[in-house]
Amino acid sequence: MEKVYKMNGYDLHLIPTKKFKNITISLKLQNTLDKKTVAKRTLLSFMLTTGTKDYPSTQELSKYLESMYGMKLGSNVVTKGKSHVINVNSICINQEYLPYQEDLLEKQICLLNDIFFKPNASNGCFDQTMFDRKKKELIERLISNQDDKFYYSLERMFEYMGKGTCLGISSHGEIEDIKKITNEELFEYFQECIIHDKKHIYVVGDIQESIVDIFKKNILFGQNENNFETVYSFEKNRKDLLEIIEKQDVTQAKLNMGYRIPSNYKSNHHYAFVVFNAIFGGMSQSKLFKVVREKNSLCYYISSSYDAFNGVMIITAGIESKDYKQTIQLIKEQLKEMQEGHFDQNDIDIAKLMIKNSMKKTNDEPLSQIAVQYNRDITGKQESNEDYLKNIEKVTYQDIIDVCQEIELDTIFLLKGRNE
Amino acid sequence: MKKIYYQTLKETLFHEKLENGLEVYLLPKIGFEKTYGLFSTKFGSIDTTFVPLGQKEMVKVEDGIAHFLEHKMFDMKEGDAADEFAKLGASSNAFTSSSRTAYLFSTTTNENECVELLLDFVQSLDITDESVEKEKGIICQEIKMYDDDPDWRVYFGAIANLYHNHPVKIDIAGTCETVNNTYKDMLELCYHTFYHPHNMMLFVVGNIQPKELMNVIKDNQKKKCFLPETSIQRKKIEEPESVDVKEQIDTMQVEMNKLIVSIKINDIFMNPLEKIKRELSLNLLFDLCFSKSSTLYNEWLEKGYINETFSASFTQDRDYAFILMGGDQDDYQLLQKTIFDFIEHIDDLVIEQEDFERIKRKTIGNFINSYNSPESIANSFSRYYFEGICSFELVDYVSKITIDDLNKVKKYFNKEYASTYVVKKDK
Repeated sequence: MEKVYKMNGYDLHLIPTKKFKNITISLKLQNTLDKKTVAKRTLLSFMLTTGTKDYPSTQELSKYLESMYGMKLGSNVVTKGKSHVINVNSICINQEYLPYQEDLLEKQICLLNDIFFKPNASNGCFDQTMFDRKKKELIERLISNQDDKFYYSLERMFEYMGKGTCLGISSHGEIEDIKKITNEELFEYFQECIIHDKKHIYVVGDIQESIVDIFKKNILFGQNENNFETVYSFEKNRKDLLEIIEKQDVTQAKLNMGYRIPSNYKSNHHYAFVVFNAIFGGMSQSKLFKVVREKNSLCYYISSSYDAFNGVMIITAGIESKDYKQTIQLIKEQLKEMQEGHFDQNDIDIAKLMIKNSMKKTNDEPLSQIAVQYNRDITGKQESNEDYLKNIEKVTYQDIIDVCQEIELDTIFLLKGRNE
Repeated sequence: MKKIYYQTLKETLFHEKLENGLEVYLLPKIGFEKTYGLFSTKFGSIDTTFVPLGQKEMVKVEDGIAHFLEHKMFDMKEGDAADEFAKLGASSNAFTSSSRTAYLFSTTTNENECVELLLDFVQSLDITDESVEKEKGIICQEIKMYDDDPDWRVYFGAIANLYHNHPVKIDIAGTCETVNNTYKDMLELCYHTFYHPHNMMLFVVGNIQPKELMNVIKDNQKKKCFLPETSIQRKKIEEPESVDVKEQIDTMQVEMNKLIVSIKINDIFMNPLEKIKRELSLNLLFDLCFSKSSTLYNEWLEKGYINETFSASFTQDRDYAFILMGGDQDDYQLLQKTIFDFIEHIDDLVIEQEDFERIKRKTIGNFINSYNSPESIANSFSRYYFEGICSFELVDYVSKITIDDLNKVKKYFNKEYASTYVVKKDK
């Protein structure tokens, strides 16, 4: 079970377990999701894992990580509703597996401190070579991400659907904004993050309570009492359904549909919606999969997903563009069927079993375990896995019918071939 | 039941070969909630010409048939196998590679029942002409999904360029045309030939009681009848040493041009130890040259020859082997020249002891880390199993590799057997 310690400027969460052969540490920095800072935060996350004063280049740092038996140091950014989070993750094998004694754990923790307080920087700037290289790398990565048409079309859907709201802000920012960032600006923003971002550190592995002292000694941030908003429900911001069709050189059309829903992570209907989504399109026993794929052979992939932090539901499918109208028709019919109660106890039982299965599985994956716990911690939700499963168990047939009455289609984005 | 303890990994593996020829491996993971079962057959996309069980003549079946069969295996008299797993609280899936097909489940409850269901659905085939027809549209959409992925196109194109005849040059799923030419009787023929217990292996890892589970498996197998074991005759593929296509340029709507240089390796080892030594040596060599700690890599990066998408890999399977090197680069000719210069001058590459030891440490750490994931334990076991290699021993093999071993694999970098595939922006 998780134990929380109030530290200097951060909460330290310990999740001791003997089953893993490694120690996972995840540091999370949270601030408001804002179009003005999101690009900086993304570039900063890139910079954080490129070097420190002692290991002042990607090459030097990599050598060090390799000598630590391939310790992993990575970072990424995610949105949590109205918040933006930078994750810095470090995974190192448990020293018990080494052929001879070596203290890896303290080194692992020290490195996290060095990233923030002994960066490869001087005179209010990051090392210029590293800055230029990472900026170029990030821009190139974002450009080549657009080659993934599934990902590209989904991003475009969010852009149209969430225009002017935080749903429309991409978690990694716009390429044009990244291009404009200067080294000085970024370093200044880095100092702001160290002061103002809300910080949590999670540790999973075979650890003792004495690890708290190692953190006390090695990682100190300034006190801060900032709190940031997270969960919300996406609201209607225009009268009619928005339908966008874009043409590109693709052989398979990518269909994306965004819905407004009456539920989010903090609402009372949350559990009912989780079960609804599982029955409707969240798993391979779902209505959408059974009807659109298995019965009508219209696609290979189709699924719905529930974004509980933004309070929306998304459907994605890969189809022939000639089947566009038919696919949408079938999806609409399936939603109507759900709203009219055309599902049975068997559907509910299977959905609940699958939800239980996937929740229990997170206990076998340190980073998933941390992600689940973090969602609770930043929303102030007091809930254990057992509580969660009890709440899922309580969901009734009527609860599911009730929760899907107010689902409304908001935006359709179709990416299709040029000649069709 | 045999019990094998692996000291470095601190893992205990249980093994038994059943009377019908099926090999069963069980790995309990204490403290884990999850159990993962993987049932594999040595039947992949390259097995398209063979002597069917009980017959005498070679037959050629349609490309993509192993993958087609994978899709149809889930049909059961009772309904859909995935639904049956769902009733037990488990999720299921399957995948086909060039040399094997594997079926899997993942669960946190009803472990023994799931193992039985896995055996039962894979050990019976229940298809009709109509159900086969229906699958064709779905598989075609799957093929098209890959067609739109430029990384897949350049990867697959680079492999296909190397071979004149070898079926590894054909997409695992075949083409929409071969899929449409696939029928029920052909699927059944493949099924009876390749899904015999002696051609299969079951691996279960996670929250299990090995003794109890082994008895469940034995009882399950005793109830079923199979024809006696016969060895399967596959057509030996006659593949010339040369590459089929030296250079090919494909156009697509991409944001950045992509290039892969592939090198064909004609030495095909039969001895598993030789095979694994070569693989580990080449992987260490690539890590030394192209991981972020390498001076060469950083030099290429700074000069703009490559960007972070660059990677190099070695692949070998039953009877083929190749090297791939490449990434995204608008000036693809510059990238091509860089790679060819590397190939040409590989003998000048000096490996420092210090770098070598460090990369070895990293590799050992990565192997140990991978034993935290039931999925990766099972997948890696199955991938090496049909090659005659036990994946639990890999970490100890790595420790024994020397710089000399790395110098020996440099000979595979041969320009004569290299080919280039480019995916270029269409304007």
